Amino acid sequence: MSNDPLAEATRALRETETASDFEARATRTRVMTGLHQTRVRRRTRLAFLLPVAASLVAVSAWGAVSGQGRRALDKLERLVGITVSATAPSRAKGTPRRPATPPAVTSNSPEQALLPPSYQAEAAEATPIAARAASSARVTASASSSASRADRADPTLSLYRAAHTAHFVDRDPTRAVAAWDAYLSAAPNGEFAPEARYNRALSLVRLGRSNEARSALMPFANGAYGGYRKAEASALLERLEP
Amino acid sequence: MTILGLTMVTQQTLADDAVLADELVLRLQRADPSAVAEVYDAHHAAVRAFAKRLLGDAASAEDLVHEVFVSLPQAVRKFRGDAALRTFLISIAVNHARHHVRAAQRRRRALSAYGDTKSHDSTDPEREARRRELAESLSRALDTLPIDQRVAFVLCEVEERSSREAAEIVGAPEATLRTRLFHAKKKLRLALQTEGLG
Repeated sequence: MSNDPLAEATRALRETETASDFEARATRTRVMTGLHQTRVRRRTRLAFLLPVAASLVAVSAWGAVSGQGRRALDKLERLVGITVSATAPSRAKGTPRRPATPPAVTSNSPEQALLPPSYQAEAAEATPIAARAASSARVTASASSSASRADRADPTLSLYRAAHTAHFVDRDPTRAVAAWDAYLSAAPNGEFAPEARYNRALSLVRLGRSNEARSALMPFANGAYGGYRKAEASALLERLEP
Repeated sequence: MTILGLTMVTQQTLADDAVLADELVLRLQRADPSAVAEVYDAHHAAVRAFAKRLLGDAASAEDLVHEVFVSLPQAVRKFRGDAALRTFLISIAVNHARHHVRAAQRRRRALSAYGDTKSHDSTDPEREARRRELAESLSRALDTLPIDQRVAFVLCEVEERSSREAAEIVGAPEATLRTRLFHAKKKLRLALQTEGLG
């Protein structure tokens, strides 16, 4: 026997018998079961998440390409009441942010139909954005009464709506130019002035008043409104080159 | 000529072993169950012995062994191959041991309170009883140590590993490990004296 109790105890601990073969096999089974469960969990997670992620990507891509995404978002906003609840109180306070009920723009935009073939590509690109501007101004049918309240609060909105109707619904560029001019003279710095100016420029293009159209599009192409319609205006200006 | 031939055969064997080890590690990284089973069969005894000596409790040791091998596919991603796989497994056990030490202490206290009635076949029952008593005293004394000192003592003194290998396992400098060992031994001697073994 050693004189050092620590050395003796250490030796005793070293010689301690380890588990029996049965315990070792039982732990092995536990390990393999644990691994299997981990794999199953991972597979289940992947099987659930991958299709969801793939669908999300596909739907987002389709929505972005077709412009349906924006419309779906608008529908969703209306469904959950974000648009109505966000605009109604502001109208009540007499500070409307959007014209109340401009007519909806269909995906087959009148802009595209009215433009000469050489401009149809640009108009096709511009249409979703125009639709976005218009659809963002849309509210549900139940909001029509609040629209008249909004018009009373801000008379320029009725001018905007009239111009919008002439441009997008009646597809009458002559009347549209006059209506956009009326709106812009009433609200030269109005919230929708940039949209009105761009739509006016488009109407001028349709009427073949190229010089006026060029001067109307120039500020957009030069970035006077930031990135808003910059690319479309540049493309149209290139086509309008004599 | 014969020596040269032997050297070449040995080198070829070592190269084959390295390739096999690499393949095994790759399979482990893919969480291949057969690879884990292979590693378990080869190394479970060493891991279990270490766990039992460190924790001083068979049930907790089994839990630790289980945790080591279940976490192996995840942990092996950090394996660079600069140490033996067995050393790496022990280092995983060290990292997971912290959670099991308290459980082992509680279980050991409960067993000593109610009396461990497990019988042990031995040719010399008296000697076996004395050995068990000493081992249990040391396990109790180990409970008084911080986990780092406890690991250092088990690796260097109980498992008789070199300080270099132990340092590799715990991921600390050798000097640090030797300091931990010094303090561990000092405290253990005191604890054993308190138990009447000094």
